Amino acid sequence: MIKSMLQRSFLLATLSAAPFAMAEVSVENGYARAVPPGQMNSASFMIINNSDASDIQLVSGSSSVAKVVELHTHTNENGVMKMRQVETITVPAEGSVALQPGGYHIMLIGLKTDLAEGGEIDLKLNFSDESSKLLTLPVKKVMGGMQGHHHKHH
Amino acid sequence: MKALRNLLLLTVFMLVGVAIAFYFRPQPVEQRIALGEQLGGDFTLQAENGPLRLEDYRGKVVLFFIGYASCPDICPTALAVASQGLKRLSQTEQQEVAGIFMSVDPKRDSPEKLAKYAGFFHPNFTGGTADRETIDKVVKQYGAFYRMVDLDGSAMGYAVDHSSRLYVINKEGKLAKALAHATNPDALAAEIRNLL
Ligand SMILES: [Cu+2]
Repeated sequence: MIKSMLQRSFLLATLSAAPFAMAEVSVENGYARAVPPGQMNSASFMIINNSDASDIQLVSGSSSVAKVVELHTHTNENGVMKMRQVETITVPAEGSVALQPGGYHIMLIGLKTDLAEGGEIDLKLNFSDESSKLLTLPVKKVMGGMQGHHHKHH
Repeated sequence: MKALRNLLLLTVFMLVGVAIAFYFRPQPVEQRIALGEQLGGDFTLQAENGPLRLEDYRGKVVLFFIGYASCPDICPTALAVASQGLKRLSQTEQQEVAGIFMSVDPKRDSPEKLAKYAGFFHPNFTGGTADRETIDKVVKQYGAFYRMVDLDGSAMGYAVDHSSRLYVINKEGKLAKALAHATNPDALAAEIRNLL
């Protein structure tokens, strides 16, 4: 009796976990960088997780606050910082990719509005499996020297 | 005999040439400073309210950064670190410190825009730019580097590859330190305090 109840609750737990497992891509700690008034560009950062068994690519994005949204990266070659556009950003299977200052970022080009601290932006991300994610991200002032500082998940 | 002398002379010239090339070889700024090379020095930029002269900052510690305002990440991070470092100091100490952001991209960055941009990070920060010749001279003076790069297919048009050091200039206008990108604010505060 107890055993079958346990089995049933186990089954239930598995079932209720199922829709979660289907959401292969999730985003956490996302934000857009607050910029001085009149700035044309900003960037958005986040961690993208992939619970699927195969890699998935972030291929494009769009937002109502910017004319153009592009995927960019930064590399540091002997102290020289180089920003380049990238075609895609790979989120490895059962892993994650960090979009953070000094590296990958979602570039917001041609801001239609000032991004002031405390505001919000909408951002749509499109992935290689034709899924997409609609996000609402806070606008935050980025304080440097805080990389590796972990925030609580929501 | 004459041929031998010529050969000897040639050898001497070559050795001198090698020595000169060795002396002037490109080196990391830190190494060049450590070797006693005098990097840094005065400059005059165009700012919102007229010329911005480093000379006018004698008696203040100056944090100097070279970049461009449409840079979405490296420059704002550097200025944010500088601002955070500065805020570690007392109000009175802060009054003895100024920040100068020089843009190497005058085509996109007007002096007015740069004033607003730099001031966003700290009220003691200001910005300026100059004509290409002056920019190149200042960049060379500080052992910095930049290069415009076309971004094909990007709405940005072009980006600027640039070195990312934060220069700490002492009250006498001499370059005291060239800090690597994103030094932590505490370390920076300590550097500044050393010079106050
Ligand atoms: Cu970018």
